[in-house]
Amino acid sequence: MSYFVLLPILFPILSGIFLLVRKEMKNRQSLLITVGAALVITTVLAITAMLTVRDEIFLVFNLTRTLPVLFKIDGVGVIFGIVGIIVFVCAGSFGFEYMKHEEHEKRYYGFYLIVFGILMALCFAGNLVTFYLFFELLTLSSMPLVLHTGSKEAVMAGLKYLFYSLCGAYMVLFGFYFINRYANTLSFSEGSVLNPELAAGHASLLLGAAFVMIMGFSVKAGMFPMHAWLTAAHPAAPAPASAVLSAVIVKAGVLGIIRVVYYLFGASFLQGTWVQSVWMTLALITVFMGSLLAYREPVLKKRLAYSTVSQISYILFGLAVMDPDALTGGMLHVICHSLVKAVLFLCAGAIIYKTGKTRADELRGIGKEMPVLLWCYTVASLGLVGIPPTGGFVSKWYLAAGALSSGIPGFFWIGPAVLLISALLTAGYLLPITISGFFPGEDFDYGGLKKREPGVLMTLPIALLTALSVLAGLFPNVLTDFIARLAADIL
Amino acid sequence: MDFIQNFPFFSIMLSMFSGTVCSVLPRRAARWVNTLMISLIGVLSFVLLSYLVVRGESYVYMMGHFPAPWGNEIRAGILEAGTALFFCVIMLLSMLGGRKKLQEEVVESKHNMYYILVNLLLSSLLALVYTNDLFTAYVFVEINTIAACGLIMIRQNGRTIEAAVRYMIMSLLGSGLLLLGICMLYDLTGHLLMSNIQAAVQGILEDGTYEVPLLVTITLMSVGLAIKSALFPFHAWLPDAYGYSTVSSAAILSSLVSKGYIFLLIKIIYRVIGYNVFGNSHIIDVLFVFGLMGMIFGSLNAIQENDIRRMIAFSSVAQIGYIYMGIGMGTGVGMTASVFHILSHAATKSLLFIAAIGLTDVSGGSRHFIDLTGAAYRNKWAGVAFTVGSLSMVGVPMFSGFISKLLFAQAAVQNHVKMLPALIVLAISTILNAIYFMKTVIRIYTPEEGSEYESVTFKNMKTYAVTLVCFILLNVLLGVSSQPIVDLIEQGLSMFA
Repeated sequence: MSYFVLLPILFPILSGIFLLVRKEMKNRQSLLITVGAALVITTVLAITAMLTVRDEIFLVFNLTRTLPVLFKIDGVGVIFGIVGIIVFVCAGSFGFEYMKHEEHEKRYYGFYLIVFGILMALCFAGNLVTFYLFFELLTLSSMPLVLHTGSKEAVMAGLKYLFYSLCGAYMVLFGFYFINRYANTLSFSEGSVLNPELAAGHASLLLGAAFVMIMGFSVKAGMFPMHAWLTAAHPAAPAPASAVLSAVIVKAGVLGIIRVVYYLFGASFLQGTWVQSVWMTLALITVFMGSLLAYREPVLKKRLAYSTVSQISYILFGLAVMDPDALTGGMLHVICHSLVKAVLFLCAGAIIYKTGKTRADELRGIGKEMPVLLWCYTVASLGLVGIPPTGGFVSKWYLAAGALSSGIPGFFWIGPAVLLISALLTAGYLLPITISGFFPGEDFDYGGLKKREPGVLMTLPIALLTALSVLAGLFPNVLTDFIARLAADIL
Repeated sequence: MDFIQNFPFFSIMLSMFSGTVCSVLPRRAARWVNTLMISLIGVLSFVLLSYLVVRGESYVYMMGHFPAPWGNEIRAGILEAGTALFFCVIMLLSMLGGRKKLQEEVVESKHNMYYILVNLLLSSLLALVYTNDLFTAYVFVEINTIAACGLIMIRQNGRTIEAAVRYMIMSLLGSGLLLLGICMLYDLTGHLLMSNIQAAVQGILEDGTYEVPLLVTITLMSVGLAIKSALFPFHAWLPDAYGYSTVSSAAILSSLVSKGYIFLLIKIIYRVIGYNVFGNSHIIDVLFVFGLMGMIFGSLNAIQENDIRRMIAFSSVAQIGYIYMGIGMGTGVGMTASVFHILSHAATKSLLFIAAIGLTDVSGGSRHFIDLTGAAYRNKWAGVAFTVGSLSMVGVPMFSGFISKLLFAQAAVQNHVKMLPALIVLAISTILNAIYFMKTVIRIYTPEEGSEYESVTFKNMKTYAVTLVCFILLNVLLGVSSQPIVDLIEQGLSMFA
């Protein structure tokens, strides 16, 4: 039975490869049906696997005697997996309409499915080797999505993405060498896997290794000072791919950090060390800087990418505090940010698709043309700012509460303060679009408006994601109970 | 004595013999004899390997029934047999993959010559691997050099002749130093058989006499073989020799010839000088440092290169650096890592050379990056193969390169002094590798609208495509089930000592 875990990984990868190698299909319809079916089947397989083989270890093979490739579905994997599925299915069906105006749809969907499978593998990876393997593959397979348009800008962005990600991956590998020496096993388990006898006397070396690994994974998560690729790569991709990249692929870095900190080194090993201080400082700098840069950025998709930089570091800050509440907040924010950022990027995509406008200041009166879309945008924005009753409020509440109760000198009040300021900036860069969209002002020429609401294939996924982000705030207990239990286990 | 124990001798002789036969056969027949003979030797080596694994210990084989110290000896252990098998596999695949190109690039009258040279090369490599006698080793080093020069020169244009002359000069310098070393060692110990020399060296050390001459000897032999295997900074001959010769030659030279010399060096370290003596001399640190520098500078040179063949050639400099770094680490794990990397690099580099030729062929024969745009769509098999080779070089798990890097790292963390420089350079070099290989992969997969070049299909290149698939499988095999191979290497090394 435990081989079930392979199905949601292999099925999308194989169907993606199948799409890539087979000849161009005659009509678009059959391509879309294939992709849609693949997405639905993968969802069903993944949920079946999560329900039936939770916590069962499935050994695929041994890479070397001490390094097996194995999968295990645990709580964290389930959270990231479900978020990934939701975003992938919604952005996929959004793409059915949107990708009409892009070329090479078959290639796009082929890689889209492969990335989906690899993401599932990352969520279900049971040890560091497996995780590292799929982390590399994730970079390589998601790069064609960035390169998709083939413009010079996209190629440069793709190269930037590749080199930053590979640098990050090798920083991880660098740390991997050390931990491989001083640990009993590299399987993820709650608490620490370090062998106390071997590790005795090498604490500073291991702290260095932990730091390098955290930095390596945070490249993928876009933390300062290694964030420059993110704001180039995410806007360069087609909108549904941007949504996937910004909402879930960056979370792979977050997942990596969770695995390293809470499942390999153990939080108690890092608490109160210089690693924690430096990490928190960098995260807070990123939170503030990302918001500020987003505030100054006129192009909507780039603005959203900067916003991702800032918001992911909220999560990283929550992880760095190493307090149960902050950890809960961080994981909740993983969910909320994914849903919200997917909505925002898809909205930006729908606007480009219908009007061709990319700059935020061109969007005056857009709410009169596409009211449903802009309502979704507004509700999602409120979620990102953190206004109740949306999910963002709950997660930020937990983050701030956790930081305050952690009692880490200095950071316990600086952290929440920075989060608050950044929330104000978030409102400052997201809401003006709503305001000028719905209330274009007296001098606006209403005559030029026409009904441009996008089709149901585009609106429905956006509305669904928006509804989920609100539901997460209305009934947070379902999530917080689950996550808090998890946080208590691993801390 | 079991009959199987004759196999090393048979392999060497068969290879030489078939070389002689090839000179008088018609062209097609020569090709077949060559292919069959390499396969046959591969089979013999495989049988020998399994025999030795079962037997669990190495044996010494007297040539011509004269006992030591008068007679000549062959020695076979797991490592020797395994290396011989691997060399045969790589050589066979390289010959198959470059067969079509050979017919295009080399004048027809020279084809027989080519097969003679390949057979001669194989026999000298096998002799280097199996011999237990330093002077025999030297003789075959020279044969190897001459055969390699021929392989470079057989495609006659200005660049290859220049490259061959360069190779000849550098190589002879290397053999000269090696010869000096062997002479001095003979002077010091009075022996030429490896096991006798080792006993004598122990005596010298215990007496405390001749320590400086011994150090000089070690230096001469190490440097001589380092020049021949293109360790940085002695690599100047390499890019032209690998870059312009016909593709089978490039693949064989990069993956076998330089590896044969490294194998000889490892053998000298273990069986002649003694591992501890070598480890206590400072030569090991020098090799380590040169290895590290090679890893960086080789990659930097490769990044600047605009010619795909020369880029792959420069990447060899970096990979040779890895091997010397492992030797220089001074631990058993480091040596295991080096031997594994010999295999892994041989499998990957020949794959890259063979794949690159497929890509350049569909780009009007041009090797410049600009012309290679979209080449992977015109020759899909070569595109996939090149990507696999690149991923392996970059060190993505599941391919052989990752295991090498892992082994090197495991070796590094055991040596507290060399740990940090080794790991840092390993990381930097990996990133540099990624820069130039990924750049190339992206280039060949960048679609080009309305290309003027024709694409090829499977029907036109059956042998070529099958060879590539074999290479890919070999790479994945080394990457996925490395444990048995690493175990064999460890056993083999312990038989050495």
